[in-house]
Amino acid sequence: MGLRVVKRDGLPLWKRAILYLSAVVLALLIGAAILLFLGVNPLDYYYQMFTMGTVNNPIAYKTFMNYIKELLPLALTSVALSLAFKMRFWNIGGEGQFIVGAITATYVALAWGPKLPTAVTLILMCVLAMVTAGLYGLLAGFLKVRFGTNETLLTLMLNYVALYALYFVGETKADWNLFLQEQSARPVFKSFKDIVAFPMIPIGDKFKLTSCVIFTLIIGVAIYIYLKYTKHGYEISVIGDSAGSARYAGMKVNRIVLRTVFLSAALIGLAAAFKVGSAGVLSTAITDDVGWTGIIVAWLAQLSTGMIFLVSALITVLQFGSTVAAATFRQVDSSFANMLQGIILFLVLAADFYTRFRIVRVKKGGKAHE
Amino acid sequence: MNKMDVITSFLHAIVVYNIPLLYGTVGEITVEKSGSLNLGVEGIMAVGAIFGYLCGCYANSLGVGILVAFLTGALCGLLFAVLTVSLQANQNITGLTLTTFGLGLYFFVGNGVKASPKGFPTMSNFENIQSGFSDRPIPLLSKIPVIGEGLFSHNLLVYLGIAIAILMWWYLRHTSVGLRLRAVGENPAAADSVGINVKLMKYLHICAGCGIMGIGGYYMALNMSGSFNSSCWINGYGWIAVALVIFANWSPALAILGTFVFGFFNTLRVSGGSLALAFPNVLGWLAKIPTQMYQALPFIITAIVLVVTSIRNKRGSSGLPAALGLNYYREDR
Repeated sequence: MGLRVVKRDGLPLWKRAILYLSAVVLALLIGAAILLFLGVNPLDYYYQMFTMGTVNNPIAYKTFMNYIKELLPLALTSVALSLAFKMRFWNIGGEGQFIVGAITATYVALAWGPKLPTAVTLILMCVLAMVTAGLYGLLAGFLKVRFGTNETLLTLMLNYVALYALYFVGETKADWNLFLQEQSARPVFKSFKDIVAFPMIPIGDKFKLTSCVIFTLIIGVAIYIYLKYTKHGYEISVIGDSAGSARYAGMKVNRIVLRTVFLSAALIGLAAAFKVGSAGVLSTAITDDVGWTGIIVAWLAQLSTGMIFLVSALITVLQFGSTVAAATFRQVDSSFANMLQGIILFLVLAADFYTRFRIVRVKKGGKAHE
Repeated sequence: MNKMDVITSFLHAIVVYNIPLLYGTVGEITVEKSGSLNLGVEGIMAVGAIFGYLCGCYANSLGVGILVAFLTGALCGLLFAVLTVSLQANQNITGLTLTTFGLGLYFFVGNGVKASPKGFPTMSNFENIQSGFSDRPIPLLSKIPVIGEGLFSHNLLVYLGIAIAILMWWYLRHTSVGLRLRAVGENPAAADSVGINVKLMKYLHICAGCGIMGIGGYYMALNMSGSFNSSCWINGYGWIAVALVIFANWSPALAILGTFVFGFFNTLRVSGGSLALAFPNVLGWLAKIPTQMYQALPFIITAIVLVVTSIRNKRGSSGLPAALGLNYYREDR
């Protein structure tokens, strides 16, 4: 007798859901054990974390506003990445593309914002951020298509090229550098809050919803339709299954790959424009690691657009909630969130195995039992 | 400072500050030669660093530190291997998660110890660690004027790192197990069919490689004199190591050279100013180059190397394992 691993056909959705949920629950239990070890009541901690401290909090609306501010770039970046991942194009360059978009949008706001009407500036910020980020992504796409350059490693390198370019503009005092405050002796990013910002929609007397929420939701729905009901979406899924059969079916694979990679990177640029347009200032930590986290979110959501919104909402609760909880529970560092996120993912990765494979007993020399 | 002394200390700095890159790179080469792309180097080095440093201090022994760093690194490797080799998980995702998890664990443990009543251990309080990490000149060689003190008077971990790199080069190139490992990285199905235990080979080398990265992390900790603050000790070295693997064309011997090339730029960033000051006529221009350029250079060079090798596309001359990043599932054979 021995054990053997066999592929299985699609597991029903509810069974998969149960597997993934139990992975998350198990991760939370491991987290609870760590918390107990530190002398913290896990229930109190998790309560504080998942409610993000909003219960009985007079300024809870502020928490929600900040939460949404963090959620939007992550959700949009993850959706964008999923486009490339569907074709098995491993765009690890979300960070770099986000930075390129953020620098472009900030440049537009600072250089042209004072002269142009707000609406025009905002549109230019978005469009140009999309173009520059898109081209930055396309660079890797072109080299992949033309020369077979490994896109995982190349986009990874391009992340750091963009990051140090951002450091350069953020740390260099010079006449040409319009990104920094003129008055300050130390290099400090110039704020453009008073020049241009995305409109806020007041809901109730205190809560203000940023208009980016609406744009992001519209884009989410559009991408869902694009992938599910258009010819382009169909082509993407065929290439994801097998580039060979796509070519055989007469598809211009290279063109489709380039188009999709551009769109993917451009949407990340748009996420960056939303981010700086809401923050009103550039920063060296502008990405908030969404390029990295987005990869994980897109994968956790199995590249399904709807699920991506759900998963990024949950991951943001985890990250945002743990900083809130760290204020109450001094002995638990806010890095607990990253650790917990890692444990959750490891277990989900393990659970994923059982949705694709199963283990069967085999007799010596015999065939697998069904 | 004497002009020649500036050069000597510059050479010394190139070696001292950049050997962690060599550990990370040789470790990652070992992993990648088995066909697995592990993007968790940064996190694994962080884990090795924090546990190696803390245990080394508590035991007041450099050896314990090295051992613990290796073992914790190897444990991360085991996790990676279980998920990607046995459970067929995506390597990119697993590696990135390992980085997130590793950095989270690093700060969680570090901040926890810092907040504890005893506080974070200071390296200078531990004689054995301090003296173990001090320079040991190589007789004769270290007496060569100018370069002797710079290149041949270093701490034990420098010598260990270079020894591991040379050993690994020999192992991959000249032993039959090394040959089998390369076969697994090139074409696991073919390797399997001639009776090589693909899973075992992958497990062993992923764990060993990650252990080596862990020692590199420990080196970083000692180099920072164990001062724990808000920025991680590893500070991006893990990512540079991933780049360096490509630059070194997957050869541990070339990795030594690559470490010094990347280290050269890294050191120029820090001490380019003093070179410019000592030789204003010849090297004065160094002071004008923005430091961020030096930081970006390893990645720019690597990107160019990556593109150029793919254009030349001579399989056989490139050390890139053909099956890199792909999981092996026997039934797909």
